[in-house]
Amino acid sequence: MSEQIQKMIDFVVRDVIRNQNVQIDVNTPLVSSGLIDSFALVDILLTLEDLTNTRIPAGKVQAKDMDTISLMFATAARVGKPRNV
Amino acid sequence: MNATASGARLIDPLTYHTIPEALHAAPSEDIFATMWTSEDEVESVRFGEFRHRALAQACFFRDRGINDGQRILLVMPQGIALMAAFVGAMLAGGVPAILAYPNFKVDATKYSLGLRGVSTNLKASVIVVGQEFPDGLMGHLNVERTTQLERFQDHYPVNSFISEIRERRPNDLAFIQHSSGTTGLQKGVALSHAAVLKHLAHLAPSLKLTPEDRIYSWLPLYHDMGLIACFMLPLVFHLPVVMQSPSAWVTQPATMPKLISDYRCSLAWVPNFALQFLARRVRAEDRASFDLSSLRALINCSEPVRDSSMEEFLSAYSGARLRPHALQSSYGMAELVFAVTQSDVSSSGPSRVLIDGAIFRKENRAVLVRPGTPGAFCVVSSGRCIENTKVRILDSDGNALAPGGVGEIVIHSETRLEGYINRPDLTAKVLDGEWYRSGDLGFVLDEELYAVGRKSDIIIVAGENFYPEDIEEIAASHPAIHDGRAVAFGRYNRALGTQEIILVAEVRSESDLANSGVIEREIRSAVSTEMNIGIASIFLKPPLWIVKSTAGKPARSTNREKLILEHVELQPDSGSF
Repeated sequence: MSEQIQKMIDFVVRDVIRNQNVQIDVNTPLVSSGLIDSFALVDILLTLEDLTNTRIPAGKVQAKDMDTISLMFATAARVGKPRNV
Repeated sequence: MNATASGARLIDPLTYHTIPEALHAAPSEDIFATMWTSEDEVESVRFGEFRHRALAQACFFRDRGINDGQRILLVMPQGIALMAAFVGAMLAGGVPAILAYPNFKVDATKYSLGLRGVSTNLKASVIVVGQEFPDGLMGHLNVERTTQLERFQDHYPVNSFISEIRERRPNDLAFIQHSSGTTGLQKGVALSHAAVLKHLAHLAPSLKLTPEDRIYSWLPLYHDMGLIACFMLPLVFHLPVVMQSPSAWVTQPATMPKLISDYRCSLAWVPNFALQFLARRVRAEDRASFDLSSLRALINCSEPVRDSSMEEFLSAYSGARLRPHALQSSYGMAELVFAVTQSDVSSSGPSRVLIDGAIFRKENRAVLVRPGTPGAFCVVSSGRCIENTKVRILDSDGNALAPGGVGEIVIHSETRLEGYINRPDLTAKVLDGEWYRSGDLGFVLDEELYAVGRKSDIIIVAGENFYPEDIEEIAASHPAIHDGRAVAFGRYNRALGTQEIILVAEVRSESDLANSGVIEREIRSAVSTEMNIGIASIFLKPPLWIVKSTAGKPARSTNREKLILEHVELQPDSGSF
């Protein structure tokens, strides 16, 4: 597991779900399971941009693209643009 | 009519008999709606083309036998196609209603049941779903045999029936907008063409609307603020509106100031929480890149207006050329078409008063105090009544209160609902002679209304109303939860600028507590799927924890207080109400 993925898991558990007893992995459904709601997606998206050093263009991401940690990184790889370019 | 420097005059909605008539009079070449999806996906439509698209939809409905007064449900994503279908339904003589488009996490069986509930209540003749409506979900939809289920068809041929389009009359029903509740239990409010046009005529002077105004919106069209302020208002006054979907905005909130900046929008409405969301979730370097100088009124509406949220927004966007008085406020509801009050948009923003907290809580009175008084808190005005609207504050015995008295807000308006569709029981609860009982609590000072909360236990999250009963029912349906022993309530979250949902539920057996994590996750998932809302905190308690009233129902306020005593982190923020 890459360092970025582990950082994202830690961020979601610590700052979004805010419950250290909840265990998630790269394939845990987050939005569809109700663990996080759509208001939290923006925080995750900003963190994802920082971790992947990309900017994700507005309008290119839907909640279903962010349902798992795996999907988040796949989304960044698909639509993210390198920063400062 | 308002004349502007350019000499253009604002339309008087009362010169029209119906909403389609207002559309018919619009200049064909003027831009009406712009739907922004992403940088490379923007759709704009001029009034002339929109009229044509609405006519095509009218043909679609007429070809399906729609005639006077038949109800049409629209389940389509936010966009110009939905707007054209809505007006097309009116043109065909039907009465449209917009429902929320299902999200990807919806449970097909439960969604179908909810849709059937609304459809049956409204006696819908046709349900139109969007072109992208999932096939899997479509296969699950089970509607009455008398209801036609159709997929939206763009570019429907405009056929010879055009000449047969029936002239609507002012008092004919124009459309239905829904008040709060889960899908199956929503309260339908039927509005006539005359009521909508009259309401807009009353609202325009309070907004100091001009022909140069341009509206921005991410508000859903199934919500009165989105439907009336950001669709009907620009349609009737022939103004441009720039839109995006609520989900696109909430995922990337910077798009809102960017669109206002790029399109030079002058008016927008948002619920209170959005101000904090925009202040905290948009990067500082991005905020500084926007030019919000065109925005003459950003109106805070549909949940209690918070001084702290407004200040935070003003501070965060001070570098974006935001006009110092751009933040305004309003109070409204679907039952009155939309607005009841509006702050003076030409003044220095809504009035703010500092209230003695102890007297407010103990004596239900708003007594002004000096800054620095211990326990004092600030309340923001929602402004004065718009034209032809009156507000009174009643105590629990129904007596009118003097200025400063805190009680239920009741409203007299020419554009009040006649009743909820097929719900005489609910109608009887809210209509009191000529007055509408809002269920909201507030007070009046210097003829300005200050709304401070709800009389009932309704929870308002990000401007949307949720009944605790709906959440409790879902929780109690979990096999580990004791029947009827769950209590949901709202708690103001200062960091979010809106309420969050807290749930406390009693397990059937103490041994179930060992499995709390799984039970919590399953309840969260069920509530999220059925209501599209997250629960902030779930507390599972052993048998006999929940306190019931003498009527055998969980006593919500008692259980709330009991939970707060056990969990000090749930104490209300000091200085909030």
